[in-house]
Amino acid sequence: MRFEGQTAIVTGGSRGIGRACIKQLASEGARVALVDLCDLEEAQGLIEELKDAPGQVHPYQADVSDADQVRKLVDDLFEQWERIDVLVNSAGIVKDGLMGTMTDEQWQAVINVNLTGSYNFCRAVTQPMMMNRKGAIVNMSSTGAEFPSRGQANYAASKGGINGLTKALAKELASRNIRVNAVAPGMIETGMSAAVRGLVGPKLKEIIPLKRIGQPEDVARVVAFLASDDAAYITGQVLRVDGGLSLGGY
Amino acid sequence: MPTKEEVFEKVRDALVEALGVDEEEVTPEATLVGDLGAESIDFLDIVFRLEKAFDIKIPRGELFPEDVLTNADYVADGKVTEMGLAELRKRMPFANLDEFEKNPVVQDFGNVLTVADMCRFLETKVEVTD
Repeated sequence: MRFEGQTAIVTGGSRGIGRACIKQLASEGARVALVDLCDLEEAQGLIEELKDAPGQVHPYQADVSDADQVRKLVDDLFEQWERIDVLVNSAGIVKDGLMGTMTDEQWQAVINVNLTGSYNFCRAVTQPMMMNRKGAIVNMSSTGAEFPSRGQANYAASKGGINGLTKALAKELASRNIRVNAVAPGMIETGMSAAVRGLVGPKLKEIIPLKRIGQPEDVARVVAFLASDDAAYITGQVLRVDGGLSLGGY
Repeated sequence: MPTKEEVFEKVRDALVEALGVDEEEVTPEATLVGDLGAESIDFLDIVFRLEKAFDIKIPRGELFPEDVLTNADYVADGKVTEMGLAELRKRMPFANLDEFEKNPVVQDFGNVLTVADMCRFLETKVEVTD
């Protein structure tokens, strides 16, 4: 089990890719803090599902965009657990709109959760990981950062920011054996992508070389790989998990 | 209540862990950058370890005033200005800035802060016995 004895924080853990990441990490022995803003009923369902897993899952409610809440949560976890090995910044939202009609609220909300939220957690875990002389951070980017859809300027901007944050932080923390990478999922079957998938319909499977929509578990396995010692020589990378969608061409 | 000797030992341990230097290299006169090779990421690591060792909080910039040395208000043409020197004196009453002030080249600041300065700083943060 790759994460036996280790601790992990996963934001946006109640649903979608974050939920799948928690299942993967807990099944491999990690003690996981599931962090989400929303009502933790869904989280309780996951905890019940994983009650016999090798690792443990503990739910915490926090707004990732609130720096004080994040700092307090991470400080409390470090005090309790004495180590933080893995951070997965999976919390993310969409609030689509064409630029001409996008509101400040739509823009700022997406930046606050997707980008600032990741920054808040990255900053907060720097101290525990530096003290431990080891850590792995996996940020959730998106192929939308480089191959955006119309109406997603805010989302694309936030994920492009994640790419820059990932690379800069990787360089900064490498000397302390803290690796920072990102995964860039393509079209994954989650609640967040339901609207887009509904609009594009069956066409999508035709243009994806692997001929299927991705599952959250497809991404979670890559997240776990990047968080593990199997990726000990990988840092500063953004790894696309998209079934080949970004290859383009014919 | 730690003694001054115990403060030095904790500072030494933090520097050994953060910088990977040998204990023997950490003398009171050793400068953090010039002698012990500390870089900016090391300063953060050192502060974290000192906070834990002494169970205190050290506001960023209080021990290592990097923000002054990179602030356009305090630095001009590679040298710290009068305003910058005043700010350094205010922030670092535990350090001897006399030599540096004669020719305050930013790049030479690394030879200012010594291990003894750090101990003096911490003695202002925790009560010590002799």
